[in-house]
Amino acid sequence: MRLEDHPIVKFKRGKEVTIYFNGKPVKAYEGETVASALYAAGIRTFSRSFRFHRPRGFFCAIGKCSSCLMEVDGIPNIRVCKVYVRDGMRIKTQNSFPNADSDLLGFLDSIIDRFYPHGSHYKKFNRPRILREFVTKQIRGFAGAGDPPKKVFEGNASYEKIETDLAVIGGGPAGMSAAIFAARAGAKVILMDENPFLGGQLVKQTHRFFGSGRHRAGTRGIRIAEILADEIKELKNIDVRYETKVFGIYNGVVGAVERDKKLLEILPKKIVVATGAYERTLVFENNDLPGVYGAGGVQTLMNVFGIKPGNVGLIVGSGNVGLILTYQLMQAGIKVAAIVEAMPRIGGYFVHAAKVRRLGVPIYTGYTIQRAIGKKKVEAAEIVKLDEKWCAVKGTEKRIDCDFICIAIGLSPTHELLYQAGCKMRFIPELGGLVPLRNRYGETTVEGVYVAGDVAGIEEATAAMMEGRIAGIDAAIKIGYGGDEALKVREEVVRDLKEFREGPFGERIVSGLKKVSIEELQEAEA
Amino acid sequence: MKVAIIGSGIVGLSSAYFLSNSAEVVVFERRYPLYGASGRNTGGITTMLGNKELIDLAKRSMKIYDDVQGEVNFNFLFRKDGYLKVAKNDIDMEKLEKEYYLQRSAGLKVREIDPFEIKNMIPGFNPKSVAGGFYGEGGVIFPWPVIWGYEKGCKARGAEIKPQTEVSEIVVENGEVKGLKANGEFFKADFIVNAAGAWSNEISRLAGVSLNNVVIKEEICVLESLKPFINPYILNVSNGVYLSQSARGEVVGGIVGKETNELNTSSSLDFLIRYAKGAVEMVPSLKGLSVLRQWAGVYDCSRDGMPVIGETEVKGFIQANGLGKHGMSIGPAVGELISEMILKGKSLNNFSPNRFQS
Repeated sequence: MRLEDHPIVKFKRGKEVTIYFNGKPVKAYEGETVASALYAAGIRTFSRSFRFHRPRGFFCAIGKCSSCLMEVDGIPNIRVCKVYVRDGMRIKTQNSFPNADSDLLGFLDSIIDRFYPHGSHYKKFNRPRILREFVTKQIRGFAGAGDPPKKVFEGNASYEKIETDLAVIGGGPAGMSAAIFAARAGAKVILMDENPFLGGQLVKQTHRFFGSGRHRAGTRGIRIAEILADEIKELKNIDVRYETKVFGIYNGVVGAVERDKKLLEILPKKIVVATGAYERTLVFENNDLPGVYGAGGVQTLMNVFGIKPGNVGLIVGSGNVGLILTYQLMQAGIKVAAIVEAMPRIGGYFVHAAKVRRLGVPIYTGYTIQRAIGKKKVEAAEIVKLDEKWCAVKGTEKRIDCDFICIAIGLSPTHELLYQAGCKMRFIPELGGLVPLRNRYGETTVEGVYVAGDVAGIEEATAAMMEGRIAGIDAAIKIGYGGDEALKVREEVVRDLKEFREGPFGERIVSGLKKVSIEELQEAEA
Repeated sequence: MKVAIIGSGIVGLSSAYFLSNSAEVVVFERRYPLYGASGRNTGGITTMLGNKELIDLAKRSMKIYDDVQGEVNFNFLFRKDGYLKVAKNDIDMEKLEKEYYLQRSAGLKVREIDPFEIKNMIPGFNPKSVAGGFYGEGGVIFPWPVIWGYEKGCKARGAEIKPQTEVSEIVVENGEVKGLKANGEFFKADFIVNAAGAWSNEISRLAGVSLNNVVIKEEICVLESLKPFINPYILNVSNGVYLSQSARGEVVGGIVGKETNELNTSSSLDFLIRYAKGAVEMVPSLKGLSVLRQWAGVYDCSRDGMPVIGETEVKGFIQANGLGKHGMSIGPAVGELISEMILKGKSLNNFSPNRFQS
């Protein structure tokens, strides 16, 4: 299932290693995550759900969901999409007996709601006391995901205290741009990302970008990531920390864990939060069946690791992500059975849609997915026409044979850190969900905490880069770097971004941004 | 008879539960039930307390928990797998030993436990991390269903619970309570019970009664869910680190709190670092597990460590606070005392608020 030839991406595979999955050897290559190596070996059931013991498989590929928790070398609950293979690694599925693929507790799925509906542990078997105490003990045996650790974790824990000017959280387009522009102005920067590489989601964008030359139009996303990463390498005042997860902002102090063993306590003067977004999913029957993926998960699998997600796909959502993914799949030699779009018209750019149509992929507008069909993995999907009230029209069901389904219906900001830091948040549908209030330079209601990129509102990489530049340079200015030149650059980028959003596609964003702009809100109050 | 109770934590709701069969009860809650310490603690329940009066309250509370769960048909997920107090050094062991004799004389089944026996009880426990310990009655309760169950029981008995209703004024005339004002409205009351936990000092001030409880902030965190392997609740008295495993399998723990001047519930990085060290020292196999959530709570403790229960110099204004970190262990019985005091005029010398007046 590994791709060998690809017209755009050259996959450089590492040394061949062997990992053991439930005791069976699996071939893998260094540089692959455990999840992708298992996927390439045809393994589809990664875990079982907590209550119903339904099969769960690969889903987001970027550590945001909990579908791929497994026991790795005796340590339970590891997100295997974030762990890289090592020779001899032992992987075990958990929360199932004897294993996740053939879990004897799988029968619970069809019956548990009949005799023990949700909330029963509070409401049932309470009298007499003896029965209650017996049942309470029994319930406990069913709870818990993963066995207690079989051995003591071997990571040698250490601690580092870092004083710096600017802490940038997230090494995607926004975070990289923020780091570069702050560093150019003279600020000392620490740039942290949870991946072993920079670029964020750019690393799977094999298509060319639009816009004017200044916005790197015509360049492929993967190339933009390289250009920015190269510049960061040149700038000696940027300290890049890979595989570093930031878990909290406590009164201006940033807490992070580097490579699972070093605790970082960072005392920055300013912070830029550029944590990006995660994929939304859709409610339909069997939407948790292995084979139902986020579009980004499929892009990661295919464009980063060179692994075929399947043979025939169904794409749900005809926005740019859905359309681009369709032709990326076809570039990789994978068939796309259809694109389904609930709206009466195609959501993405005309050029993308035309390209997909030329390739012979039918686009069903006014249709939605009703259910995924299959026992342990997707075998087909049922789609249905929607009436003007968004209700399914009986009799219009269509079965589409496919072995995977990509949900490409948009993203939600990864807002948790901002919320935890105490930023004032607001739910703005135009921006994709919960986003912080911010001033024209991206500073939130918590002084010194900036926001940039998709976490500030779902847009796309070009705008994310500009937001990053503005936040980075403004932070540097406020600390005292850059002088007049920096002020000039800042205002230039602000103008650029405004220009970029002045088109029909920017309308929605601009109207959303008005609702979270501190300046506009103050004006409205006055 | 009309009783207004301020605070919908374990003390307020338990009082309301016992009172509402015979009185008209309204519970005023500034935020929502579970906002305060009763919704933020780790559910450690024990009778292994430091003096006879507290032990009696805790014993009575165990019984009330059993009864209430049956009466209101709600499971508090109370797991009686025992309570372990361990100490790292001989000085603290001596203190525990003193408590032990007292607890034995109060009729508790407590025994000294060897660190290696603890290791048999909890796989992964490091026997070298402690000098010794004592094991007794208790366990872990899930505080949320406790509050939900009490709410259900109170409502069934006719009590009214008013969330998002902040008391702004307590009306006192001729040294006697007349009622209170909340959300701009006046409520008549013959008795007002101050069960506001960490906010008790402020409520007391509204009645013109001085109360000088210490406010303590405590931090807690939850590790990821695992199959059960830690059954008893463990408290290390030397460094204040405690932990247990919830009904869902999550390892829940914290560090005994410190006095604070501000009533905020922000959490800190410093706590995580100290807790991680203390927890991993006791149970090294916790190393490498992820923290899922962390939070903080505030509670109040009287100046002498005993609860403050009883009528004040203002007639009808009753204190029911200062329970310290034993709120979940003794709260149900404190509620019962409050109801007996109001309904039967029973006096409580040991806990009287007047004991602090010189």
